[in-house]
Amino acid sequence: MTLLFVILIPLLGALIPPLVIRSGRNACAAATGSVTLLALALLMSHAPAVFSGEVPKAGVEWVPALGLSLSVFADGLGFFFAAMILAIGLLVIVYARFYLSREEPMGRFFAYLLLFQGAMVGVVLSDNIIALLVFWELTSLTSFLLIGFWTKRADARQGARMALVVTGGGGLALIAGLLLVAQAAGSYQLTEILVRGEMVRASPLYLPALLLVLVGAFTKSAQFPFHFWLPHAMAAPTPVSAYLHSATMVKAGVFLLARLWPVLAGTDPWFLIVAPVGLATMLLGAVIALFKDDLKAVLAYSTVSHLGLMTMLLGFGTPMAAVAAVFHIINHATFKAALFMVTGTLALLASASMAGVPLFNGFLSKEMMLEEAAHTAYLGLDFLFPVLASVAAVFSVAYSARFAIGTFLGPVRHDYPHHPHDPPLGLWLPVAVLVVPVIAIGLFPAAVAGPLVALTASAVIGGPLPDYHLALWHGLTPALFMSLLAFAGGAALILAFRRVDGVRARLPPLDAKAMFEAASGGLVVACRRIVAALHDGALSRYMGVTVATLVAVGGYGFWSATHAAGARPLLPVTAPALTAFLALVLASGAVLLFHGERLTALILTGVVGVVVALAFLQFSAPDLALTQISVDVVTTILMLLALNLLPKTTPREGSRAVRWRDGAIAGLAGLGAAGLAYAVMTRNGTSISDFYLAQSKPGGGGTNVVNVILVDFRGYDTFAEIIVLGIAALAIYALLDPALKGAAVRRIKAMLPRDEAKDAHPLILVVATRVLLPLSLVVGAYIFLRGHNAPGGGFIAGLVVAIALIMQYIASGYGWAAERMKLDAQSLIGAGVAIAGLTGLAAFAFGRPFLTSTFGYLHWPLVGEFELASAMAFDLGVFLTVVGVMVLSLAQLSRVAHRVDPSPESRAPMDVPLEGAASGAAGKED
Amino acid sequence: MYPFLEALVAALILIGAFFLLVGALGLARLPDMMRRLHGPTKATTLGIGALLIASMVYFAAVRGSFSIHELLITLFLFLTAPVSAHMLAKAHILRARAERDRLPATGTATGWATLDSGHPKGE
Amino acid sequence: MIAAAIAIAGGAICLAIALTLYRLAVGPDATDRVLALDTLVIETIALIVLGGIAYGTAMYFEAALLFAMVGFVTTVAFCKFLLRGNVIE
Repeated sequence: MTLLFVILIPLLGALIPPLVIRSGRNACAAATGSVTLLALALLMSHAPAVFSGEVPKAGVEWVPALGLSLSVFADGLGFFFAAMILAIGLLVIVYARFYLSREEPMGRFFAYLLLFQGAMVGVVLSDNIIALLVFWELTSLTSFLLIGFWTKRADARQGARMALVVTGGGGLALIAGLLLVAQAAGSYQLTEILVRGEMVRASPLYLPALLLVLVGAFTKSAQFPFHFWLPHAMAAPTPVSAYLHSATMVKAGVFLLARLWPVLAGTDPWFLIVAPVGLATMLLGAVIALFKDDLKAVLAYSTVSHLGLMTMLLGFGTPMAAVAAVFHIINHATFKAALFMVTGTLALLASASMAGVPLFNGFLSKEMMLEEAAHTAYLGLDFLFPVLASVAAVFSVAYSARFAIGTFLGPVRHDYPHHPHDPPLGLWLPVAVLVVPVIAIGLFPAAVAGPLVALTASAVIGGPLPDYHLALWHGLTPALFMSLLAFAGGAALILAFRRVDGVRARLPPLDAKAMFEAASGGLVVACRRIVAALHDGALSRYMGVTVATLVAVGGYGFWSATHAAGARPLLPVTAPALTAFLALVLASGAVLLFHGERLTALILTGVVGVVVALAFLQFSAPDLALTQISVDVVTTILMLLALNLLPKTTPREGSRAVRWRDGAIAGLAGLGAAGLAYAVMTRNGTSISDFYLAQSKPGGGGTNVVNVILVDFRGYDTFAEIIVLGIAALAIYALLDPALKGAAVRRIKAMLPRDEAKDAHPLILVVATRVLLPLSLVVGAYIFLRGHNAPGGGFIAGLVVAIALIMQYIASGYGWAAERMKLDAQSLIGAGVAIAGLTGLAAFAFGRPFLTSTFGYLHWPLVGEFELASAMAFDLGVFLTVVGVMVLSLAQLSRVAHRVDPSPESRAPMDVPLEGAASGAAGKED
Repeated sequence: MYPFLEALVAALILIGAFFLLVGALGLARLPDMMRRLHGPTKATTLGIGALLIASMVYFAAVRGSFSIHELLITLFLFLTAPVSAHMLAKAHILRARAERDRLPATGTATGWATLDSGHPKGE
Repeated sequence: MIAAAIAIAGGAICLAIALTLYRLAVGPDATDRVLALDTLVIETIALIVLGGIAYGTAMYFEAALLFAMVGFVTTVAFCKFLLRGNVIE
């Protein structure tokens, strides 16, 4: 299990730095360092096992049926990478402590760093590929935060965005690719997939999977043509650059290629794609690096070049090349991290290693690379790889030399803004620690790095290791001559640098950033065009598409089924039923005629609401009727409030043809719905209602099935619904708050009726509604209490009480009513959801699942037998939420209108001053 | 059930229905809004009141139980009907220009509430 | 006797509803339509009460109660809109 904690400790430890920063910067860095150290120590506790050939595993199952688990394993490759990430991470933390200035938010920085570290360790240790993908995306996100750490700098923001777009986009391809690999291998566990390489390579999914995985790896590792993001990520603070470029982030892509090497490598497509991409990247990076004058840019392009080198080696697909790749990963990590934290003579050593000077570790792996390149033929071209690899080596020597000479051996300058001084211990110690292996491996490769290379390489290859020797002297091999050639060529390039640079300056400049900006800008414009073409904001169009689709699907369903008539006899037609039916038809038809006048249409829909409620009553659904009645009035008030802010007549619709088309779609849909209703009602079918009817009393303790369904059988749904309702109300509140400022206000003001009554709050209405309030509240309480056994319940009661409260708002005005509401609507919503949730949680106390209800009977004096169900508390939650939602959303809408047209608040019960009181009230208001 | 009560219920139902019909007839037939307002607010309210009393008597006699529903409904309707009518009349006065001109003077310094804020001009 | 009275009353109320719908359709002003809607709600209450007597059940009375309460709020809201443009101010 400790292996899992290697990932979790940095992720959870990210909480610590922002808290500890109050105790000072040293404490913060120490806390961060000890988090990393703890993770490293836990990892190292597995070292003996790993070196003895075991593969430690750990994990927790999540959804085993779907292959989802958080499982980790540490074979040689994963162990090596995790160790490298944590060890270099530790050095970076020390360095960052002294690098960041006092003004910078160090707590935040270290929090991001630890998150990133945890995500990286997660990538390299994950066994489950879904977990790997999650961690992979997490590295993209956290590196975005790190690269853009200096949020005030435009280049930092742009660089961070570019990195996120490229690596995150590649991550999407990787998700698809790895899922295809998992599909081909029949497992989501990497340990399983790694031994099923044959199966994957034989699968028809192999090629698409390979291409997608490669897009993911190439974007992350900045391979050509995705290399452009990496130099722009240099806008990050230097410790971040050192970390991202040496041990982490960009190595993730190489890691992935190495990880999947036993599964995907060794085929023609692999070699034909990966090797040349690596070669091109290596060459391009080296060439560009030579002509950069900015130190960080040189290092960035050199990283690109070295990543290309590793990719190319992995692309060769031979075990020997894989060993070389692993060896170079180790070497590059050490010298590149040192170079970023560049200080004094130590960096000279590191740059010598970068150039591939003998006696430094970079020489050895470069030698191995040249050796492999020397006998690689590409599509029958024997000389392609040897020649181009040598050219890349030439440039590599040249830029390393230029870096070293320009920085440390050049003429002394005195025009710095500050006098340069020797760096503190914290800045050079990490570099020194890194330079030690650079030289040690260079001198005694087999002794120092031998076991690690063997361990890691055997994990990459997944089989027996080839016969290789890590040594300084291999004899007079072609690689040696290529190396010598590189040094000679590099020296020549440096000597002729001015002339070469002149040639380069005459070539047309290619700015990757500008191209990226142009491409992404163009994409945004294209997307806007498509969206604008599809969503033109016309409601009729959305409705038309939706309804037409429904008609098409329903029509298909109808024609592909049998059409026997229903067996159930029809009910007799009574006079009230006929009248109600006629009222419904006439009102609906009239809405069609009068829909241009919005107010008339609203009155007519009121008739429809009344008839629908009557129909519910007729067909024994009193609960629905009660709901319909109360919802109808709330809707009417809502529409009236909205209508105040809208034009009073609808604009002219499209041409006659368009209207006929829309009419045909609507007519077909209406006929279809009517036919469906008729077909259902003329058949005797069994449905789940029978179960509910039978179980309502024994299972839920209530005889009102509708209410028992709401609060018990489907309590989960109701719980989720009231949460959604609450969120919707809060969203209305938040959206409307800034909605009406500036132009919108002016537009609405132009629509307000010029001629309006002078009294906003007529006296008779005010008095009558105040009398009605307690009556209405009694009705609400009554409907709530009887809800479990008779028509009613929390939802309807909530609506009734909300209507009673809104009535006060209508009659006496917002100011008067809001002042007297002791509970604000937001608290009501919060309390409602909390009560419902706590009632559900209470079931846990009795060892029952969430929202299990219970009930019992109490004998109250005077009242008699009284049932008490836990569902009632849940219903109370529903009730409070509904009241809060209604009051909040309607009141907020009215406030909008109020802001548009502020009328003076009046303290008196009536706006028009009464006789006698007139002079007094008017005097007070002034 | 006593025949007397039965007759009473039947009579109340018929009275109620009659006045409902009268109210609706007034609403449909009377020539202008102010006159139409009389039908629903007076006759209809009377009719529904009679029906509610019929229901109360019926359930008391049949079930032997007294229900307060009808009383509540009656209370609601009798309290709200005049207020609805008042509000409708105000709306009509505001919207119909001819109606405004026919309004008599209030006889006080303050005009009709719908049309005159009662405050000096310019406030 | 009651059954006959209910039948006659039912017919009368249906006729009343038809007359109310006529006013609703004809208008001419919004106030007429609101008045008609208000009347329609009261006639609906009458229908529900009559149905309660006819079927001998008190089950529907909550609906009638709610209609009484809600019909008023609707009418007032419409009037408020016609008078002031703003329902809650």
